[in-house]
Amino acid sequence: MYYLGLIWEYFTNYVKTRLTYRADFWVEVISDLLFQATNLIFIFVVFAHTETLGGFTEAEVVFVYGYFMVPYGLYSCFINLWNFGDRYIVKGEMDRILTRPAHSLFQIFLENLDPPSLIGSVIGIIIMIWSGGQLGLEMEWWYIPVLIIMTIGSTLIYAGIYIILTSVSFYSDSPTGIIPLMVNIQTYGRYPITIYNRAIQIILTWVLPFAFVGIYPAALFLQRQEMMAMAWLTPVMGIVFFTASLLLWNSGVKRYRGAGS
Amino acid sequence: MQAIEVQDLRKNFRIQQSRGGLKGALQDLFAREYREVAAVNDISFTIPQGEICGYIGENGAGKSTTIKMLTGILVPTSGHIKVNGYVPYQEREKFVQGIGVVFGQRSQLWWDIGVIESFQLLRKVYQVSEADFKKRLDELVERLQLQELLSRPVRKLSLGQRMRCELVAALLHNPSIVFLDEPTIGLDIVVKSEIREFLKDLNRTQGTTILLTTHDLQDIEALCSRVIMLDAGSIIYDGGLDDLKTRWGRGREVRFQFGGAVQAAQLNAWTMGLPVTWTQESDLVATALVPADMAVSDVFSRVLGQAEVTDVQISETSTDEIVRQIYSSGSAEKPEEQPHV
Repeated sequence: MYYLGLIWEYFTNYVKTRLTYRADFWVEVISDLLFQATNLIFIFVVFAHTETLGGFTEAEVVFVYGYFMVPYGLYSCFINLWNFGDRYIVKGEMDRILTRPAHSLFQIFLENLDPPSLIGSVIGIIIMIWSGGQLGLEMEWWYIPVLIIMTIGSTLIYAGIYIILTSVSFYSDSPTGIIPLMVNIQTYGRYPITIYNRAIQIILTWVLPFAFVGIYPAALFLQRQEMMAMAWLTPVMGIVFFTASLLLWNSGVKRYRGAGS
Repeated sequence: MQAIEVQDLRKNFRIQQSRGGLKGALQDLFAREYREVAAVNDISFTIPQGEICGYIGENGAGKSTTIKMLTGILVPTSGHIKVNGYVPYQEREKFVQGIGVVFGQRSQLWWDIGVIESFQLLRKVYQVSEADFKKRLDELVERLQLQELLSRPVRKLSLGQRMRCELVAALLHNPSIVFLDEPTIGLDIVVKSEIREFLKDLNRTQGTTILLTTHDLQDIEALCSRVIMLDAGSIIYDGGLDDLKTRWGRGREVRFQFGGAVQAAQLNAWTMGLPVTWTQESDLVATALVPADMAVSDVFSRVLGQAEVTDVQISETSTDEIVRQIYSSGSAEKPEEQPHV
């Protein structure tokens, strides 16, 4: 309850701050959407040359992309660790965080809330409904609770992976080089995993489980029998990765060295 | 009860040793050399509740590192700490509820929103009830005269205004111990003395324990009954400020300006039998160092009868002077020998 209240407080503060820089807000929203649009166009271009991709039709791949956008939007809104090393470690703002009575990681999430990213999630849902219609998928009652569970699972996977990578800053001087690489790899998860070779499939499933933020859970709604078991693993993987990342973070914080005087 | 107990506290940092030149840089890429440096070296002290204690030392002496360990930011390498009944780094979230922290060089406030909005947010973070918050805020705002500033964004405040707001931010949850790391840095004299008065009041009316680090010894003189002096990670003095002055103070300096040329031998002859040391600046100007236990008038009676004196100045060794000497000698032991003539 305490933490939910804080989310609201920080959100209203975000709004107040942003209202002073209105143009900035719209530039961010529009550039975000343009970025997503180019990705979508890429899918259409690919399907101009082929009928199916790893056994998935165009509408199915678009549906997967729609699902992919939902947890991605949530993740970008609530778990924004981009500037962590720079702002909190190098500039020493972690000092301030650690003198306040709330979990350190949670405070960092709150200070970096990015609500415009949620627009991406909304558009993802619209894409799912539209491409689902093209595929002739019947809306069933269990879609909504399952979508919620899967989205939470996928978001926890994002959170887990990026918290683990960010925690490395407590142990090493500057590991920021890995993050852009990750951002690249995470996009692999939105295409049918069967198009990759065996090694990459294993990595995307068990090591950097980005298949769980796109193709696997989406396959559940597409009623792809071969990926059913994997789809139900999504929340489990989410909890495992998130818990591991919290443990790593908590022990990392103990190694924090502060900056300057 | 003791507010702060520290025993054999130590913090080591691992510092990377860079090798020089391109070859060295390439070597560093593959095999780095590290060196352990003790920023705080087995220090022990206790501070009873309700005391104002000054924590001083040169830059890099380990003051901030100690404060950061006491506030739960850093985990010590070894030793015991107990602050307010908690081990700071173990139950951090519960512990920080009872302390207030002000870092002079870092802000607690949100840059873009009004000061009052920051306070409201802190109220939620510290879970202070609306009634307590209002009462406390009214008191603080009244005392520090912030009425005008509350609605302005922090980025539009002057440093002095911001610092007063920082104090309020650190005190809203009514902490029983307050840590201040260089609270008066960069402030003008008026604001400095306002802040000192405020801290004194806070200590007197609420019994708040205060530990502050500073480079401005006037803060110490105005506030602290006790001083802990740190050098290279070790405590070199712990005790009253008055003690420090009597132990280190070299008495008073009396500077004479004479109407005619005076020889060194003459000066010494005048004060024959008195424990006075002369230093001559020129033929016309000389300074007598008079020990604390001797009356200055004794020197006057000897000198004034002997030569034409056009001007006299008496000055006491200032705390700044004392501390400067201690820093440069690296020890608070009184120097062995005072040459008498």
